[in-house]
Amino acid sequence: MNTLYWVMLVIGLVLLVAINLALIAMVMRFRSARGREPRRLVVRRPAQVGTAGVFALIVAFAFVFGVIETHNAKKVEASGPDGLQATSSLLAQRSLDLPATAPSSAPLKIKACGQQWIWRYEYPDGTYSYYELVVPVDTTVILNLCSTDVVHRWWVPGLSGKFDATPGESNSTWFKADETGTFDGASYAFSGASYAAMRTSVRVVDVPTYQAWLDQQAAGIQAAQTFVQQANGETGG
Amino acid sequence: MSNGRTLAPHRPELVTEGPTPSRPRWFEMVMSPDHKDVGRIYIGAALSFLVLGIITFLLIRLQLAVPENDLIEPVTFNRLLSVGSATLIVLFALPIAFGLYTYVIPLQIGARSLAFPRLASLSLWLYVFGGALLFASFAYTPAEAGFNSWPPLSDTIFIENNGVDVWIAAVGLTVLGLVLQSINLAVTISKLRAPGLAWRRLPAFTFSGAVSSWTMIFAGSAMLAALVMLEMERHFGGVFFDAGEGGAPIYYQHLSWIFFTGCYLVFLLPAIGAISEILPVFSGKPVLSRNALMTSIAAIMPLGLLAWMQNMMSASIPIGWLYGAMLMALLLAIPIGAIFVNWIGTIAGGVIRMRAPMVFALAAVSTLSFGLIGELIQTVIPVNWLLADTTASTAASGYVLVGGPVLGGLAALYYWFPKMTGRTMSEGLAKPSAALIVLGAQLTFIPLFLAGLEGQQVDIFKFFEASDAINAESLNAFNLIATIGAFVLALGVVLSIVNAYLGIKGGTRAGHDPWGGETLEWFATSPPPPHNFDVVPDVRSHEPLRDIREAVRRRETSRPAPAETKEPVA
Repeated sequence: MNTLYWVMLVIGLVLLVAINLALIAMVMRFRSARGREPRRLVVRRPAQVGTAGVFALIVAFAFVFGVIETHNAKKVEASGPDGLQATSSLLAQRSLDLPATAPSSAPLKIKACGQQWIWRYEYPDGTYSYYELVVPVDTTVILNLCSTDVVHRWWVPGLSGKFDATPGESNSTWFKADETGTFDGASYAFSGASYAAMRTSVRVVDVPTYQAWLDQQAAGIQAAQTFVQQANGETGG
Repeated sequence: MSNGRTLAPHRPELVTEGPTPSRPRWFEMVMSPDHKDVGRIYIGAALSFLVLGIITFLLIRLQLAVPENDLIEPVTFNRLLSVGSATLIVLFALPIAFGLYTYVIPLQIGARSLAFPRLASLSLWLYVFGGALLFASFAYTPAEAGFNSWPPLSDTIFIENNGVDVWIAAVGLTVLGLVLQSINLAVTISKLRAPGLAWRRLPAFTFSGAVSSWTMIFAGSAMLAALVMLEMERHFGGVFFDAGEGGAPIYYQHLSWIFFTGCYLVFLLPAIGAISEILPVFSGKPVLSRNALMTSIAAIMPLGLLAWMQNMMSASIPIGWLYGAMLMALLLAIPIGAIFVNWIGTIAGGVIRMRAPMVFALAAVSTLSFGLIGELIQTVIPVNWLLADTTASTAASGYVLVGGPVLGGLAALYYWFPKMTGRTMSEGLAKPSAALIVLGAQLTFIPLFLAGLEGQQVDIFKFFEASDAINAESLNAFNLIATIGAFVLALGVVLSIVNAYLGIKGGTRAGHDPWGGETLEWFATSPPPPHNFDVVPDVRSHEPLRDIREAVRRRETSRPAPAETKEPVA
């Protein structure tokens, strides 16, 4: 993806410099001078076809390269050896009904739902988190995007491209982080008053840390639910 | 003559003055269906809305000058954003184009009026009323659903107040007016051309007017449909875009992007037409290749309109459609590239007079090159995934807005101002104005492009202190410089608007053909009478004024030697 960006940037810069230098050169060279008559240039058909051909070549190159890169970007890679493996995946994905023949490099599927003005991430075992997405390193993560209210757009620079989370539409993207660390991102579709605050963060950790975090998160959710039930019971009683 | 003989005037125009108006001039102008009055009010209103749009833009830039600024409340910011975007696109950029077309096209094709003069008045007042309505909403509650009011955000469940309704009415009335005027212009160009003025001989500006009109007929109709559906959904129980009820928000996205893509083309086409008139006149030689130029102008409409999904690369759309949109958008590079080559070839070998219209035209060419190449880079899907919806895409669109409707529109205004008023604008104010606009555009949009590369979102009411990947340290500097640049740009624009005002009041008197133009409008007096021409000449080429001058010169050289030396008359 980045290679194509640099290729297009170089093509663009060459065209930009050529057009503007030619403009400046022509204006400097042909400023009105006493006694000089304009010289009419004759453009023959081969020159016209040649000029169009140069632009057509740029277009053809950009289109073919663009299709190849898009195809590559859409093709989901397998998880790497340091990533979450099927066995540990099964442990981690408590409620996921994985087939017995699941490949060891099965991707991790996470639901990312936008709502005004926060991202909610739901993991295969039903655990969820807000704002921060925690994923294991070297593991292919498929994000299934959804929205509960208005149109949102998920993007974390360095991990993936931008993709819409639209109510009633299914959309997805994927990424695989090769190194541990934190990647910050945001929503990129205008969504109302606090749109600027609709940010997100992806924390990439090693597999044991990921599983420990999942357990801790599940326990925290369970404790919170118990507390709410008790509070409701007390209120109701 | 010493012998009392009266020779025919050397000037080829044959015109008479119109009837003396019985009512005040302003009242006559407001009520007039004359295309020249309608065109002038269109242009005046568009420039007024440009000033209002610039004020909202400056307020937005002030809020974004420093990180986490609290100068403007988030809701107020969103209202400025919603109204300001509609102002710059729908109330300025489109009407300045159609105002210029309305004034110039009948003169360029040798027509005495538009095909439907009253329709032109209706379109003008729909626009003016729509614009007034949008700004009147500041008296109660303006729209706050963003620049294109996408549902579901614009549905009543998320925004209960009537701001969106006003936005729908204002944009709807204006677009309806523009669509009606597009039909008017398309019919005028098709049916009212002077004898001999075949399509292949049309001036580039008029030809771009035909293409722009058809573009607006298609694109504007799509927006009108979207607005009607949105209003029905908000208040009359319609279900079009509500996913929960069986609709789909993406339908509105398609319709609104067809419209905004059409708007983008109408940013470009009039500027291309005007620049293609100005460069030959001020270089003293014709366009390098007229066939290539006209073919390219014609090709822009179908390719551009079919590329609307280029704005929806992140949406849930089958990849085949996105490849199609990418291809159409990329193919635009061929006609647009050919036009740039044509322009450079036109001034090459010429004798360039750096008068105000030429300075603005050259500034427009340069600024457009930045914007269009910025767009070309983002056309490819994977690059679009990186740059779309960041300030990098705003920068590219901003360059096109400044290069097209602002610099291109002002180039056209400086060029045709003597025809409209009989006076010229000051060259002394024009050149600093062009320089400030170009400098301001670069100061604004280069930092915004770089901020976009850092990941800064569009339309946010504040950006955050440098702390992580999307808020790099450099964002602070980029945003501050962009704000300073916006003020420089605004100063340049205001200078030209002041220049126009001073020109109307007391500009130097211009002749009927001050620039040595080659097209029919210069055959009429400046300003032209209500019926434009007493006599419409037969057109024999795409340069009818050159033909007339040649004919006059031939007549004079073939005339017998001056009579007083040989035999006295009478």
